[in-house]
Amino acid sequence: MTVALDIKPEHARPWIDAASPTHPSLIDTTHCTNELFGFINVPMAVWIDENGVIVRPAEQASIERSPARDMQIPDGVPDRLKRMMTEVKAIPDDSAAYRAALLDWVRKGSVSPYAMTPDEVVGVSRAISNDNALASACFAMGEHLHRTVGHDAAIPYWRRAHALDPDNWTYKRQAWTLVTTPEGATENDLMQGPNDVYEGNWLDDVLAAGGGGNYYVRANLDRPK
Amino acid sequence: MIFSSLRVTADEFSSTSGWDAKPEGICRGELCVPAPGALTDGMVDVEVVADRLGMPIVHDADHGVWSLGPATVTGRTLSSAVARFPASLIDVMGRGFDFASLRGRRVIMIAWASW
Repeated sequence: MTVALDIKPEHARPWIDAASPTHPSLIDTTHCTNELFGFINVPMAVWIDENGVIVRPAEQASIERSPARDMQIPDGVPDRLKRMMTEVKAIPDDSAAYRAALLDWVRKGSVSPYAMTPDEVVGVSRAISNDNALASACFAMGEHLHRTVGHDAAIPYWRRAHALDPDNWTYKRQAWTLVTTPEGATENDLMQGPNDVYEGNWLDDVLAAGGGGNYYVRANLDRPK
Repeated sequence: MIFSSLRVTADEFSSTSGWDAKPEGICRGELCVPAPGALTDGMVDVEVVADRLGMPIVHDADHGVWSLGPATVTGRTLSSAVARFPASLIDVMGRGFDFASLRGRRVIMIAWASW
């Protein structure tokens, strides 16, 4: 099943309609799966067994290599775009190993070496600090006020959430795209560049975090039984 | 987790937070944290629970709401491996989803976004 972390369902709907999925395709308008499962970026996934028990915690979940990894950066592209493309190319690609592990679990279930015990899952789920939890409360307050009052009411809470939990990309990218996408645009702005509302932006925050190599929570698939 | 009061029914607190207020403490699965004073006459004192579970509270006085953060008492995002499916997830038509229909099947829940 898929879950779109989009506070505006109308942003996710065209993608879901275009995919015509046969699996459950849901929308998380409050980002509550963040604190329930640990989704702090996309794509991430959890594996859940037949009894409703998580057997792998939230981790990067690409199952095919992105063409962006192998693209040639054309001459003459603006410097900022060139730097963004460079960082995207530096994002580690674990898609082949992850896909193989997933298929192994689909075939074997609990005896798959990639299925963890409950204690293992809890133990390797994201560590949560007081700042992380406070960021979650701030993001939720911002989402509530965005929905019931308007974006301006959300801004101070989202700014605080970004500062408290800078590793949480869903908090940041959700907010950035709301201010960098032109009014009436049919698609979200994916560049998420500098803006006057929030302190961060995609490129500068990626660089501050150590570059594209640190962008995702990588799956540790090296665990033979 | 948004509340309009810091005293809520035990049912509301359970459905919102996933933690059950019981005489022995605040519980989720096999984990129970003693919380004297948290449950009185079926009502939960959110501030007491928040203190015991390490849940930060953010208050917006202008709009009369409180936001309760997740528990930090275990130090991990997951306090249990039992998946807790949120009732707030909707499909493109705005309808809820019957997560019980997934029982007996292996599920991969993939997070994505339009942004």
